[in-house]
Amino acid sequence: MTMHDDSTHPDELLSWYVNGTLEGPERARVEKHLESCRRCRDEAAWLARLREQIKAEGGADAPGELGLRRLMRQVRGSEAKPRARRLQWWQPALAAAVVVIVIQSVLLVKPWQEAETGIVPLGMQVSGAVVQVEFAPTATEAQIREVLQAVDGIIVDGPGALGVYRIRLQGVSPADDARVAAAVAALRARKGVVVHAAAE
Amino acid sequence: MNEPDATSTDAESAEALLERIAAGSEAALEAFYRLTHQRVYAFTLKRVGDPAMAADILNDVMLQVWHHAGRFEGRSRAMTWVLGIAHHKVMDALRRRGREDRHEELDESIPDEDSAGGIDAVAGVEDASAVRRCLEKLSDAHRTVVHLAFFEDLSYAEIADIAGCPLGTVKTRMMHAKNALKRCLQTLGAAG
Repeated sequence: MTMHDDSTHPDELLSWYVNGTLEGPERARVEKHLESCRRCRDEAAWLARLREQIKAEGGADAPGELGLRRLMRQVRGSEAKPRARRLQWWQPALAAAVVVIVIQSVLLVKPWQEAETGIVPLGMQVSGAVVQVEFAPTATEAQIREVLQAVDGIIVDGPGALGVYRIRLQGVSPADDARVAAAVAALRARKGVVVHAAAE
Repeated sequence: MNEPDATSTDAESAEALLERIAAGSEAALEAFYRLTHQRVYAFTLKRVGDPAMAADILNDVMLQVWHHAGRFEGRSRAMTWVLGIAHHKVMDALRRRGREDRHEELDESIPDEDSAGGIDAVAGVEDASAVRRCLEKLSDAHRTVVHLAFFEDLSYAEIADIAGCPLGTVKTRMMHAKNALKRCLQTLGAAG
Protein backbone atom coordinates (compact mmCIF):
# COMPACT_ATOMS: atom_id res chain seq x y z
CA MET A 1 0.00 0.00 0.00
CA THR A 2 1.30 3.46 -0.86
CA MET A 3 1.65 5.80 2.09
CA HIS A 4 0.25 9.29 1.68
CA ASP A 5 1.03 12.51 3.40
CA ASP A 6 -2.14 13.96 5.02
CA SER A 7 -1.91 16.99 2.80
CA THR A 8 -2.32 14.86 -0.31
CA HIS A 9 -5.64 13.28 0.72
CA PRO A 10 -8.40 14.84 -1.42
CA ASP A 11 -10.77 15.19 1.55
CA GLU A 12 -12.27 18.41 0.23
CA LEU A 13 -13.40 16.64 -2.97
CA LEU A 14 -14.59 13.27 -1.69
CA SER A 15 -18.18 14.38 -1.00
CA TRP A 16 -18.59 15.45 -4.61
CA TYR A 17 -16.88 12.34 -5.88
CA VAL A 18 -19.43 10.33 -3.89
CA ASN A 19 -22.45 12.27 -5.21
CA GLY A 20 -21.22 11.85 -8.78
CA THR A 21 -20.77 15.51 -9.68
CA LEU A 22 -16.99 15.64 -9.69
CA GLU A 23 -15.63 15.89 -13.22
CA GLY A 24 -12.48 16.23 -15.25
CA PRO A 25 -9.05 16.45 -13.64
CA GLU A 26 -10.50 16.59 -10.13
CA ARG A 27 -12.34 13.32 -10.62
CA ALA A 28 -9.28 11.73 -12.18
CA ARG A 29 -7.15 12.88 -9.26
CA VAL A 30 -9.53 11.36 -6.72
CA GLU A 31 -9.87 8.09 -8.62
CA LYS A 32 -6.12 7.76 -8.90
CA HIS A 33 -5.68 8.50 -5.22
CA LEU A 34 -8.33 6.01 -4.15
CA GLU A 35 -6.55 3.20 -5.96
CA SER A 36 -3.73 3.36 -3.45
CA CYS A 37 -5.29 4.90 -0.29
CA ARG A 38 -7.29 2.70 2.04
CA ARG A 39 -8.02 5.62 4.37
CA CYS A 40 -9.76 7.60 1.63
CA ARG A 41 -11.64 4.56 0.34
CA ASP A 42 -13.04 4.11 3.85
CA GLU A 43 -13.86 7.79 3.99
CA ALA A 44 -15.65 7.63 0.64
CA ALA A 45 -17.59 4.58 1.81
CA TRP A 46 -18.65 6.44 4.96
CA LEU A 47 -19.80 9.42 2.92
CA ALA A 48 -21.69 7.16 0.54
CA ARG A 49 -23.53 5.57 3.48
CA LEU A 50 -24.31 9.02 4.88
CA ARG A 51 -25.72 10.02 1.50
CA GLU A 52 -27.92 6.92 1.45
CA GLN A 53 -29.27 7.72 4.90
CA ILE A 54 -30.04 11.30 3.92
CA LYS A 55 -31.85 10.19 0.77
CA ALA A 56 -33.75 7.52 2.69
CA GLU A 57 -34.90 10.19 5.11
CA GLY A 58 -36.74 11.69 2.16
CA GLY A 59 -38.41 15.01 1.76
CA ALA A 60 -41.15 14.63 4.37
CA ASP A 61 -44.75 15.31 3.48
CA ALA A 62 -44.82 18.22 1.09
CA PRO A 63 -48.03 20.29 0.84
CA GLY A 64 -48.82 18.69 -2.53
CA GLU A 65 -52.11 19.57 -4.21
CA LEU A 66 -53.30 21.60 -1.23
CA GLY A 67 -50.30 23.83 -1.58
CA LEU A 68 -50.89 24.08 -5.31
CA ARG A 69 -54.50 25.18 -4.79
CA ARG A 70 -53.35 27.83 -2.35
CA LEU A 71 -50.76 29.07 -4.82
CA MET A 72 -53.11 29.22 -7.79
CA ARG A 73 -55.78 30.99 -5.72
CA GLN A 74 -53.24 33.71 -4.96
CA VAL A 75 -52.03 33.86 -8.56
CA ARG A 76 -55.57 34.25 -9.90
CA GLY A 77 -56.63 36.57 -7.11
CA SER A 78 -53.91 39.06 -7.90
CA GLU A 79 -53.72 38.55 -11.61
CA ALA A 80 -53.06 42.18 -12.45
CA LYS A 81 -50.49 42.54 -9.70
CA PRO A 82 -47.36 41.44 -11.52
CA ARG A 83 -48.09 43.60 -14.48
CA ALA A 84 -48.87 46.57 -12.26
CA ARG A 85 -45.58 46.03 -10.49
CA ARG A 86 -43.68 45.70 -13.69
CA LEU A 87 -44.80 48.99 -15.18
CA GLN A 88 -41.89 50.49 -16.99
CA TRP A 89 -40.73 53.93 -15.94
CA TRP A 90 -41.50 55.33 -19.35
CA GLN A 91 -45.14 54.29 -19.46
CA PRO A 92 -46.46 57.04 -17.17
CA ALA A 93 -43.97 59.39 -18.83
CA LEU A 94 -45.31 58.41 -22.23
CA ALA A 95 -48.86 59.08 -21.13
CA ALA A 96 -47.90 62.50 -19.80
CA ALA A 97 -45.92 63.30 -22.95
CA VAL A 98 -48.80 62.30 -25.22
CA VAL A 99 -51.19 64.45 -23.21
CA VAL A 100 -48.86 67.44 -23.47
CA ILE A 101 -48.56 66.96 -27.22
CA VAL A 102 -52.31 66.64 -27.56
CA ILE A 103 -52.94 69.79 -25.55
CA GLN A 104 -50.33 71.73 -27.51
CA SER A 105 -51.87 70.55 -30.76
CA VAL A 106 -55.25 71.74 -29.63
CA LEU A 107 -53.95 75.12 -28.60
CA LEU A 108 -52.29 75.53 -32.00
CA VAL A 109 -55.22 74.28 -34.02
CA LYS A 110 -57.94 75.90 -31.98
CA PRO A 111 -57.85 79.35 -33.73
CA TRP A 112 -58.74 77.67 -37.00
CA GLN A 113 -61.07 75.05 -35.61
CA GLU A 114 -63.15 76.69 -32.95
CA ALA A 115 -65.73 73.94 -33.17
CA GLU A 116 -63.25 71.17 -32.27
CA THR A 117 -63.52 70.66 -28.51
CA GLY A 118 -62.49 67.05 -28.08
CA ILE A 119 -59.59 67.54 -25.69
CA VAL A 120 -60.22 67.60 -21.99
CA PRO A 121 -58.04 67.29 -18.89
CA LEU A 122 -57.18 63.85 -17.58
CA GLY A 123 -59.77 62.09 -15.51
CA MET A 124 -62.70 64.01 -16.96
CA GLN A 125 -65.30 62.93 -19.45
CA VAL A 126 -64.05 62.97 -23.00
CA SER A 127 -66.07 63.21 -26.14
CA GLY A 128 -65.73 60.41 -28.65
CA ALA A 129 -65.51 56.68 -28.12
CA VAL A 130 -63.09 55.55 -25.45
CA VAL A 131 -61.54 52.14 -25.01
CA GLN A 132 -59.52 50.78 -22.11
CA VAL A 133 -56.17 49.25 -22.91
CA GLU A 134 -53.53 47.51 -20.87
CA PHE A 135 -50.15 47.27 -22.54
CA ALA A 136 -47.74 44.40 -22.05
CA PRO A 137 -44.95 45.24 -19.60
CA THR A 138 -42.46 44.43 -22.31
CA ALA A 139 -44.05 46.70 -24.91
CA THR A 140 -41.78 49.43 -26.17
CA GLU A 141 -42.72 53.05 -26.64
CA ALA A 142 -42.45 52.60 -30.42
CA GLN A 143 -44.80 49.62 -30.36
CA ILE A 144 -47.36 51.49 -28.29
CA ARG A 145 -47.16 54.50 -30.62
CA GLU A 146 -47.67 52.25 -33.62
CA VAL A 147 -50.72 50.62 -32.05
CA LEU A 148 -52.22 54.00 -31.22
CA GLN A 149 -51.67 55.21 -34.76
CA ALA A 150 -53.26 52.07 -36.18
CA VAL A 151 -56.56 52.84 -34.46
CA ASP A 152 -56.15 56.62 -34.61
CA GLY A 153 -56.25 56.75 -30.86
CA ILE A 154 -54.81 59.04 -28.24
CA ILE A 155 -54.18 58.38 -24.59
CA VAL A 156 -56.49 60.56 -22.54
CA ASP A 157 -56.00 59.01 -19.12
CA GLY A 158 -53.98 56.48 -17.21
CA PRO A 159 -52.28 54.40 -16.30
CA GLY A 160 -54.55 53.55 -13.41
CA ALA A 161 -53.55 51.42 -10.46
CA LEU A 162 -53.92 48.31 -12.58
CA GLY A 163 -51.95 49.73 -15.47
CA VAL A 164 -54.99 50.50 -17.64
CA TYR A 165 -54.95 53.42 -20.08
CA ARG A 166 -58.01 55.15 -21.60
CA ILE A 167 -57.66 55.63 -25.33
CA ARG A 168 -59.92 57.99 -27.26
CA LEU A 169 -60.70 56.89 -30.80
CA GLN A 170 -60.59 60.07 -32.81
CA GLY A 171 -63.57 60.74 -34.98
CA VAL A 172 -65.50 57.73 -33.68
CA SER A 173 -68.82 58.29 -32.00
CA PRO A 174 -69.50 56.27 -28.82
CA ALA A 175 -72.72 55.20 -30.51
CA ASP A 176 -70.88 53.72 -33.45
CA ASP A 177 -70.63 50.20 -32.04
CA ALA A 178 -69.25 48.68 -35.22
CA ARG A 179 -66.26 51.02 -35.43
CA VAL A 180 -65.57 50.74 -31.72
CA ALA A 181 -65.69 46.94 -31.92
CA ALA A 182 -63.38 46.99 -34.92
CA ALA A 183 -60.89 49.15 -33.04
CA VAL A 184 -61.01 46.86 -29.99
CA ALA A 185 -60.46 43.84 -32.24
CA ALA A 186 -57.53 45.56 -33.91
CA LEU A 187 -56.01 46.33 -30.50
CA ARG A 188 -56.51 42.77 -29.24
CA ALA A 189 -54.86 41.45 -32.36
CA ARG A 190 -51.64 43.14 -31.33
CA LYS A 191 -50.60 40.34 -29.02
CA GLY A 192 -47.31 41.03 -27.35
CA VAL A 193 -48.11 44.74 -27.13
CA VAL A 194 -51.70 44.80 -25.91
CA VAL A 195 -52.64 42.57 -23.00
CA HIS A 196 -56.23 43.72 -22.67
CA ALA A 197 -58.59 45.95 -24.67
CA ALA A 198 -62.26 46.66 -24.15
CA ALA A 199 -64.80 49.33 -25.04
CA GLU A 200 -65.60 51.62 -22.15
CA MET B 1 -52.85 36.47 -18.13
CA ASN B 2 -55.25 33.84 -19.25
CA GLU B 3 -53.99 32.93 -22.64
CA PRO B 4 -54.63 29.37 -23.73
CA ASP B 5 -51.96 26.99 -22.55
CA ALA B 6 -50.41 24.21 -24.43
CA THR B 7 -50.77 20.96 -22.58
CA SER B 8 -47.74 20.36 -20.45
CA THR B 9 -46.21 16.94 -20.33
CA ASP B 10 -44.25 15.10 -17.70
CA ALA B 11 -41.30 15.21 -20.03
CA GLU B 12 -41.28 18.99 -20.24
CA SER B 13 -38.19 20.30 -18.53
CA ALA B 14 -38.25 22.79 -15.70
CA GLU B 15 -36.35 25.17 -17.97
CA ALA B 16 -39.02 24.97 -20.67
CA LEU B 17 -41.74 25.45 -18.08
CA LEU B 18 -40.05 28.60 -16.80
CA GLU B 19 -40.12 30.00 -20.30
CA ARG B 20 -43.86 29.42 -20.52
CA ILE B 21 -44.42 30.80 -17.03
CA ALA B 22 -42.64 33.97 -18.10
CA ALA B 23 -45.17 34.23 -20.92
CA GLY B 24 -47.99 34.04 -18.39
CA SER B 25 -48.97 30.37 -18.54
CA GLU B 26 -50.73 29.25 -15.36
CA ALA B 27 -50.70 25.65 -16.57
CA ALA B 28 -46.91 25.83 -16.80
CA LEU B 29 -46.76 27.15 -13.24
CA GLU B 30 -48.87 24.22 -12.04
CA ALA B 31 -46.60 21.79 -13.87
CA PHE B 32 -43.50 23.50 -12.48
CA TYR B 33 -44.93 23.28 -8.96
CA ARG B 34 -45.66 19.57 -9.35
CA LEU B 35 -42.19 18.97 -10.74
CA THR B 36 -40.20 20.83 -8.10
CA HIS B 37 -42.23 21.45 -4.97
CA GLN B 38 -41.19 18.35 -3.04
CA ARG B 39 -37.52 19.18 -3.40
CA VAL B 40 -38.05 22.84 -2.56
CA TYR B 41 -40.12 21.87 0.46
CA ALA B 42 -37.55 19.31 1.64
CA PHE B 43 -34.83 21.95 1.38
CA THR B 44 -36.78 24.58 3.30
CA LEU B 45 -38.00 22.13 5.94
CA LYS B 46 -34.47 20.95 6.61
CA ARG B 47 -33.49 24.57 7.12
CA VAL B 48 -36.35 25.91 9.23
CA GLY B 49 -37.56 22.70 10.91
CA ASP B 50 -41.16 23.89 10.94
CA PRO B 51 -43.59 22.33 8.42
CA ALA B 52 -45.96 25.32 8.45
CA MET B 53 -43.17 27.80 7.88
CA ALA B 54 -41.65 25.57 5.20
CA ALA B 55 -45.04 25.45 3.42
CA ASP B 56 -45.30 29.25 3.57
CA ILE B 57 -41.81 29.61 2.14
CA LEU B 58 -42.60 27.12 -0.61
CA ASN B 59 -45.65 29.22 -1.50
CA ASP B 60 -43.57 32.41 -1.53
CA VAL B 61 -40.96 30.75 -3.71
CA MET B 62 -43.56 29.66 -6.26
CA LEU B 63 -45.14 33.12 -6.28
CA GLN B 64 -41.73 34.58 -6.99
CA VAL B 65 -41.30 32.07 -9.81
CA TRP B 66 -44.65 33.25 -11.20
CA HIS B 67 -43.68 36.90 -11.03
CA HIS B 68 -40.05 36.64 -12.08
CA ALA B 69 -39.65 33.56 -14.28
CA GLY B 70 -38.50 35.95 -17.00
CA ARG B 71 -35.36 36.62 -14.98
CA PHE B 72 -34.18 33.03 -15.38
CA GLU B 73 -31.35 33.35 -17.86
CA GLY B 74 -30.47 29.69 -18.28
CA ARG B 75 -26.98 30.11 -16.88
CA SER B 76 -27.77 27.43 -14.31
CA ARG B 77 -30.23 24.58 -14.10
CA ALA B 78 -33.78 25.63 -13.25
CA MET B 79 -33.65 23.59 -10.05
CA THR B 80 -30.52 25.42 -8.93
CA TRP B 81 -32.21 28.73 -9.70
CA VAL B 82 -35.34 27.90 -7.72
CA LEU B 83 -33.36 26.53 -4.78
CA GLY B 84 -31.43 29.80 -4.80
CA ILE B 85 -34.72 31.65 -4.42
CA ALA B 86 -35.69 29.27 -1.62
CA HIS B 87 -32.34 29.86 0.09
CA HIS B 88 -32.93 33.61 0.22
CA LYS B 89 -36.49 33.15 1.45
CA VAL B 90 -35.24 30.84 4.19
CA MET B 91 -32.56 33.34 5.23
CA ASP B 92 -35.18 36.08 5.43
CA ALA B 93 -37.51 33.86 7.45
CA LEU B 94 -34.76 32.83 9.85
CA ARG B 95 -33.72 36.43 10.33
CA ARG B 96 -37.31 37.40 11.04
CA ARG B 97 -37.59 34.55 13.46
CA GLY B 98 -34.40 35.71 15.08
CA ARG B 99 -32.59 32.45 15.15
CA GLU B 100 -30.51 31.55 12.19
CA ASP B 101 -29.36 28.47 14.00
CA ARG B 102 -32.25 26.87 15.70
CA HIS B 103 -30.59 24.08 17.67
CA GLU B 104 -27.81 23.55 20.09
CA GLU B 105 -25.00 23.36 17.60
CA LEU B 106 -22.23 20.90 17.45
CA ASP B 107 -18.92 22.19 18.63
CA GLU B 108 -17.14 22.95 15.40
CA SER B 109 -14.11 24.48 17.05
CA ILE B 110 -12.63 21.06 17.71
CA PRO B 111 -9.66 20.48 15.41
CA ASP B 112 -10.41 18.38 12.37
CA GLU B 113 -7.29 16.27 12.23
CA ASP B 114 -7.73 12.56 11.82
CA SER B 115 -11.20 13.28 10.54
CA ALA B 116 -11.43 10.03 8.63
CA GLY B 117 -11.01 7.82 11.66
CA GLY B 118 -13.41 6.70 14.33
CA ILE B 119 -15.00 3.27 14.50
CA ASP B 120 -18.02 4.72 16.35
CA ALA B 121 -18.67 7.13 13.54
CA VAL B 122 -18.53 4.27 11.05
CA ALA B 123 -21.06 2.31 13.07
CA GLY B 124 -23.09 5.43 13.88
CA VAL B 125 -23.83 6.24 10.28
CA GLU B 126 -25.83 3.01 10.10
CA ASP B 127 -28.23 4.39 12.71
CA ALA B 128 -30.75 6.50 10.79
CA SER B 129 -32.13 8.11 13.90
CA ALA B 130 -28.65 9.09 15.11
CA VAL B 131 -27.82 10.54 11.70
CA ARG B 132 -31.02 12.60 11.75
CA ARG B 133 -30.35 13.92 15.24
CA CYS B 134 -26.79 14.87 14.35
CA LEU B 135 -27.84 16.59 11.12
CA GLU B 136 -30.32 18.67 13.07
CA LYS B 137 -27.53 19.84 15.33
CA LEU B 138 -25.46 21.22 12.49
CA SER B 139 -25.44 24.95 11.93
CA ASP B 140 -27.80 26.13 9.21
CA ALA B 141 -24.92 26.88 6.84
CA HIS B 142 -23.42 23.41 7.25
CA ARG B 143 -26.76 21.60 7.10
CA THR B 144 -27.51 23.45 3.86
CA VAL B 145 -24.34 22.21 2.19
CA VAL B 146 -24.86 18.63 3.37
CA HIS B 147 -28.47 18.59 2.16
CA LEU B 148 -27.66 20.06 -1.23
CA ALA B 149 -24.71 17.71 -1.71
CA PHE B 150 -26.31 14.46 -0.56
CA PHE B 151 -30.06 14.93 -1.00
CA GLU B 152 -29.94 17.04 -4.15
CA ASP B 153 -26.65 15.66 -5.48
CA LEU B 154 -25.49 19.11 -6.55
CA SER B 155 -21.93 20.01 -7.45
CA TYR B 156 -19.99 22.34 -5.18
CA ALA B 157 -20.24 25.02 -7.85
CA GLU B 158 -24.04 24.77 -7.89
CA ILE B 159 -24.15 24.89 -4.10
CA ALA B 160 -21.94 27.99 -4.11
CA ASP B 161 -24.35 29.54 -6.60
CA ILE B 162 -27.36 28.81 -4.41
CA ALA B 163 -25.75 29.89 -1.15
CA GLY B 164 -24.04 32.89 -2.72
CA CYS B 165 -20.61 32.06 -1.36
CA PRO B 166 -17.17 31.19 -2.82
CA LEU B 167 -16.39 27.63 -3.93
CA GLY B 168 -13.78 27.26 -1.22
CA THR B 169 -16.33 28.15 1.43
CA VAL B 170 -18.61 25.35 0.27
CA LYS B 171 -15.78 22.84 0.47
CA THR B 172 -14.73 24.09 3.89
CA ARG B 173 -18.28 23.96 5.19
CA MET B 174 -18.64 20.40 3.98
CA MET B 175 -15.40 19.40 5.69
CA HIS B 176 -16.50 20.97 8.97
CA ALA B 177 -19.97 19.49 8.68
CA LYS B 178 -18.59 16.02 8.03
CA ASN B 179 -16.26 16.18 11.00
CA ALA B 180 -18.97 17.55 13.26
CA LEU B 181 -21.27 14.72 12.20
CA LYS B 182 -18.60 12.16 12.98
CA ARG B 183 -18.03 13.61 16.42
CA CYS B 184 -21.76 13.67 17.07
CA LEU B 185 -22.21 10.07 15.94
CA GLN B 186 -19.29 9.01 18.11
CA THR B 187 -20.79 10.81 21.09
CA LEU B 188 -24.21 9.26 20.55
CA GLY B 189 -22.60 5.86 20.08
CA ALA B 190 -20.69 6.23 23.32
CA ALA B 191 -23.78 7.42 25.15
CA GLY B 192 -25.94 4.65 23.70
